[in-house]
Amino acid sequence: MAGYDISIAHLYGNLMNTYGDYGNIIALTYYAKQIGVAVDYHLVSLGDEFNATAYDFVLFGGGQDYEETIVAHDLKSKANPIREYIENDGALLAVCGGFQLLGKYMLMADGTKVDGIGVMDHYTTNMHDEKLTTLKGKRLTGNIVIKNNETGETYHGFENHQGRTFLGKNERALGSVVSGNGNNGIDNTEGVIYRNVYGSYFHGPIFTRNGNLAKRVLTTILNKKYSTIDWQTKLNLIETETF
Amino acid sequence: MTVKSSIARVTAKTSYWFLRNILHRGGTSLPGKLAVSIDPDILKTIQQDFDLIIVTGTNGKTLTTALITRVLQAGGYQVITNPSGSNMIQGITGTLVTTKIKKSPNGKKPLAVLEVDEANVEKITAAIQPKMFVLTNIFRDQMDRYGEIYTTYEKIVSGIKNAPEALVLANGDSPIFTRGNFTNTRRYFGFDHIVPTDYNPNVAPINTDGILSPTDNSVLHYDFITYANLGKYFSTTDEFSRPELTYRITSVDKLTPRYSTFSIDNTPLRIEIGGLYNIYNALAAFSVGREFGVAPEQIKKAFESNAQIFGRQEAINVDGKDVIIVLIKNPVGTNSVIDMMLTEKDEFSLLALLNANYADGIDTSWIWDAEFEKLHDTKIQAVATGGERYQDLRVRLKMAGFTDQTVHEDLSEVVTAIKSLPTQKVYIAATYTAMLQLREQLSAKGYIKGGF
Repeated sequence: MAGYDISIAHLYGNLMNTYGDYGNIIALTYYAKQIGVAVDYHLVSLGDEFNATAYDFVLFGGGQDYEETIVAHDLKSKANPIREYIENDGALLAVCGGFQLLGKYMLMADGTKVDGIGVMDHYTTNMHDEKLTTLKGKRLTGNIVIKNNETGETYHGFENHQGRTFLGKNERALGSVVSGNGNNGIDNTEGVIYRNVYGSYFHGPIFTRNGNLAKRVLTTILNKKYSTIDWQTKLNLIETETF
Repeated sequence: MTVKSSIARVTAKTSYWFLRNILHRGGTSLPGKLAVSIDPDILKTIQQDFDLIIVTGTNGKTLTTALITRVLQAGGYQVITNPSGSNMIQGITGTLVTTKIKKSPNGKKPLAVLEVDEANVEKITAAIQPKMFVLTNIFRDQMDRYGEIYTTYEKIVSGIKNAPEALVLANGDSPIFTRGNFTNTRRYFGFDHIVPTDYNPNVAPINTDGILSPTDNSVLHYDFITYANLGKYFSTTDEFSRPELTYRITSVDKLTPRYSTFSIDNTPLRIEIGGLYNIYNALAAFSVGREFGVAPEQIKKAFESNAQIFGRQEAINVDGKDVIIVLIKNPVGTNSVIDMMLTEKDEFSLLALLNANYADGIDTSWIWDAEFEKLHDTKIQAVATGGERYQDLRVRLKMAGFTDQTVHEDLSEVVTAIKSLPTQKVYIAATYTAMLQLREQLSAKGYIKGGF
């Protein structure tokens, strides 16, 4: 069999990996391996260059507030190649803090404003925002279920965030909230889809519980890289873990 | 002592006696509350009766406190200590006001060695000036309840700032303890058993927290890592490195699941509990002992003559199978348990139980940060999963390569589950409430006495 492989960049994996985010790479690798695709892991961290054409998938996880401010600073130097990667339809999963930092800005719990890199149009305010009269001051924590209306797929997870994210133009939600809070507890949206970028507040390992989403993203990655092969059919033949 | 404080103490002692002897309940929280309601300054009043040592940090508080107590007793001190689980202000007040304080036989001032919850350090030091703080470690632990490591540490630092004269005896292998702008004298303990032979910078695995240098936020490098982010760290961008150690592990001789042998400052020692992380607890106790003038030989005896204090890992017999129960609750703790299994010489099976109730932490994502993949390097023969969130654990272990595990949705079959495992030795790793349910089952079937 010809050797197929995909290359994964884990953005700030040593600083933004606080909620089992690495589980997404474990899950992706698990499915890829079963269809004969090898996975190459690369940590891209502080001071490292992000090469816009070197990766087939990028994971950008969530972290503690402290690490997030350090990352936000460093991320500026990578903004252009990340934008290039995204606009070139590269697949990316951004969780929690990673999701926030790709947007325009985020207001932290202590009121400080941290600039995102604005490669996407959403912005994040904090739970004490005066404009948010509903659920003001409440941390959004608990089990969550959403439904993606385009695919009909249901995703299960756990959310724990104080940021309230509002989607911008050209962005659509990953799903509508069935139970739980979602992006901001108000507009019933959860997560984001923009080109091949997926963002979510689902804690860490969204791919592990939602094998349907993992397979969807893996299909996108492989179709882009090896367009002559019917990856969908191959993936349909293996068991999907969803619970 | 004022009349008010005398009444407060008598009331607390009476309620404590009543709870114990009439209601047959333990607990020091209610007597503490009563004492404070009569005399809000009760802690301030009684502090002249003893010197206080505060033990705090995320993991290892209970065992470290117990070891320090034994070590100091071996050195001839009268020691007051709080029972496990009584580490909030009310319980601690209760302990201090209900314990009879006698003079030490050799005339030394009695010592109170107290395990204190991280968020309660400040409350204690607002009333009492401790002689010493012992800082074990700070790890991410059920973040839905405790928050981030730096906020936890800041809470402790606020407590330390109330007592500028106290000695801070900290784990020097934990980079976070080099932070904090307090003026207290600090001394560090740590591992110094490996001499780096050449320049070989190494970084911590990606699922490790707290790896930034406090000077310039660069990622720390290590000559060696003992576990998690603990080890001999240094910066590659400036002069920052692990502080000089006053008390050092000079050799690690044998690690087994049942005991460890090692040397501190060239004194050979043995503790009756497995796990490298427990050597840190022993090292902390050794350090405190030396600070209070206890001789190394006395400390050695204290460690060896107190096997019963190492009671956290429980070994029981289930119809001829050797079952060892261990608690898991966060990635660092679980990795430490896996590291311990690497030292197991016999073939064994693992039954892993996951619940996600409040006491377990309601977010199960942490299991993806624990390195279950390393179990392939042990003598493991079979894996079984169970608990209320068995699905999460089943998939975690499946993706770690354990594809033919047995799954037990109902914990009532736990005894059947144990018996069906192929090995003589069975490890059960369970989260807190899963452990309670497990014990209930084992107790109902007569394998252990009572519950907790």
